[in-house]
Amino acid sequence: MNTRYSDKSPLYLRIPGIVGKILILAAASVFTAFPFVWMVVSSLKTKADILNTDIFFPSEPQWGNITGILFNSPIPKYILNSAWVSLVIVALQIVSGAMLAYALVFLKFRTRKILFAIVMATYMLPVAATYIPSYIILANWGILDSFLGLIVSSTVSIFGIFLLRQGFMQIPKGLVEAARMDGASHWRALWEIVCPMTKSSFITFGLMNFIGTYNNYMWPSLITKTSDYFLVSQGLRAFFVRDGAYGTEWALVMAASAVVVIPLLILFAFTQKWFINGIGGETGMKG
Amino acid sequence: MAEIILKNITKEYENGFQAVKNVSLDIKDNEFVILVGPSGCGKSTTLRMIAGLEDISDGDLFIDGERMNDVAPQHRDIAMVFQNYALYPHMSVYQNIAYSLKIKKIPKSEIDQRVHEVAKSLGLEELLDRKPGQLSGGQKQRVAMGRAIIRHPKAFLMDEPLSNLDAKLRGQMRVEIADLYQRLNTTFIYVTHDQTEAMTLGTKIVVMKDGEIQQIDNPTNLFSYPVNKFVAGFIGTPTMNFFEAECAEENGLVVLKTVAGRIVMNDAKAAKLREGGWIGKKVTGGIRPEHVILSQDGENTVFSGKVNVFELLGSNAIIYVETEAGMIVMNTSQVQVYEHGDKIALSVIADKVHVFDPETERTVTN
Repeated sequence: MNTRYSDKSPLYLRIPGIVGKILILAAASVFTAFPFVWMVVSSLKTKADILNTDIFFPSEPQWGNITGILFNSPIPKYILNSAWVSLVIVALQIVSGAMLAYALVFLKFRTRKILFAIVMATYMLPVAATYIPSYIILANWGILDSFLGLIVSSTVSIFGIFLLRQGFMQIPKGLVEAARMDGASHWRALWEIVCPMTKSSFITFGLMNFIGTYNNYMWPSLITKTSDYFLVSQGLRAFFVRDGAYGTEWALVMAASAVVVIPLLILFAFTQKWFINGIGGETGMKG
Repeated sequence: MAEIILKNITKEYENGFQAVKNVSLDIKDNEFVILVGPSGCGKSTTLRMIAGLEDISDGDLFIDGERMNDVAPQHRDIAMVFQNYALYPHMSVYQNIAYSLKIKKIPKSEIDQRVHEVAKSLGLEELLDRKPGQLSGGQKQRVAMGRAIIRHPKAFLMDEPLSNLDAKLRGQMRVEIADLYQRLNTTFIYVTHDQTEAMTLGTKIVVMKDGEIQQIDNPTNLFSYPVNKFVAGFIGTPTMNFFEAECAEENGLVVLKTVAGRIVMNDAKAAKLREGGWIGKKVTGGIRPEHVILSQDGENTVFSGKVNVFELLGSNAIIYVETEAGMIVMNTSQVQVYEHGDKIALSVIADKVHVFDPETERTVTN
């Protein structure tokens, strides 16, 4: 342990450490935030301003870019598609993931360990390797190019199962047993005892998968071709190439990108506490 | 209120380990049955099989005449109090107690009334809004009991409910459990490794060791007529003294000859020893510390040695004496102070001597 910067050291000894930390964090923030800032700034420029590398800020903010995207483009529709499809997918993933994680942690059955190994093994599989079989299954079921196809193909999240299992393992088994003695079925024990105690795991899982699904590009673009069923990333791309080539309307493309990110930013602003809790531990209670 | 019958119940784990071996037990309505034994004797596993939290590998479990082996715990109508209380940390005391009734979809007004009744009887009224994290050990224990009581279950199962409490609180809660049993008039099955709890609470005590039942009896009989050396040693504090002796017949009397003296057996014991063909053979003798007395004259001395440790407990004293036959402990109410190394001659109350087969360790004089 380096005690030099500990709380007990005098302030003058701690200052270099604090300053160093601030500098590193500031640099990291600039690097991560810059593309985003650039996007937002560019969304308010004219096409000419964008191509002029001498100016960073718009000579005159073009609010019309944003309102154009909001009221005169298919982008809001794609956002809506993405939002509700992601919501349904995440809800299904939470239910399926919680049930499997509960079984893996609280039920005793012979194949428990093997089941977990199989589940984890599928996590190792490259996603791209599953595209063709999944595509064929959806084709056989006749649900390609539909919301149903998008939803059905994502009802289970291996990452979620793993995350919830880790959370559930923090809960004393006696609590579930007590609930069973009190007359609760496994279903009730899961949602009324286990779930409230691992709230942050559930929220982290929900948020991460919501964002992942919301932004997902590859798979939706493989199975949908009608623009009515586009999710945002795919919709954005369609928007890019609308006039035949990339980059014809850079300002609008930037405005569309900025609008698309807004829902996620709002979500993150309200839930960042849970995000960090869920990843950094503090998921369960000790018995 | 329930009659619970265990018939040849066995619990075998996947690795082949048998935690409970062929246990048969009849628990009648309103009995307070204690499962007692050292750690790992299978007592908790037995209780958990009755609760339905462990599968039964072999044998049958009947509750009120109905075979329950494959019935889920929530359908057995049995309440259980856990060692570490297992209170739901995210619910208030009120919600913890009310949870089982909520599951049964009992009307809110009735739940409210019953929760307050139970809380009142356990002195929890002030704490209903608190979360378990804000309670002391004793209070948590009361909530755990309240959660069990409110259901009016067929039977209460308690798995070492007092072992997480400090000694003083444990004594107090023991009295409360005894009182609860009198009031509720229902079947209790209670697991403990503490023989004081077993002796003071139980109407029927089941002593277990290595997954097998050693003896089922009431506290008095268990203390006075243990069936084997294990039970004799397990019940009673300080534990029974054991010593090697030879059974012999002298002048028509059956005696146990020890290194330093002899004990004359009474007629009943003499008859048993003769019947069993023990005359002339080595046996293991047993005498409880409270039945060891000071030898008044040299005549009746059984053990002699030097005082090793003298513990004055107030109204009585416990004296550990190093003798030729090993350490002999005396628990006496005639308090006389001894120093380490004092010479002392001991006798025993002959009627209270137990005799065990040195090989099978079974009592031969019962």
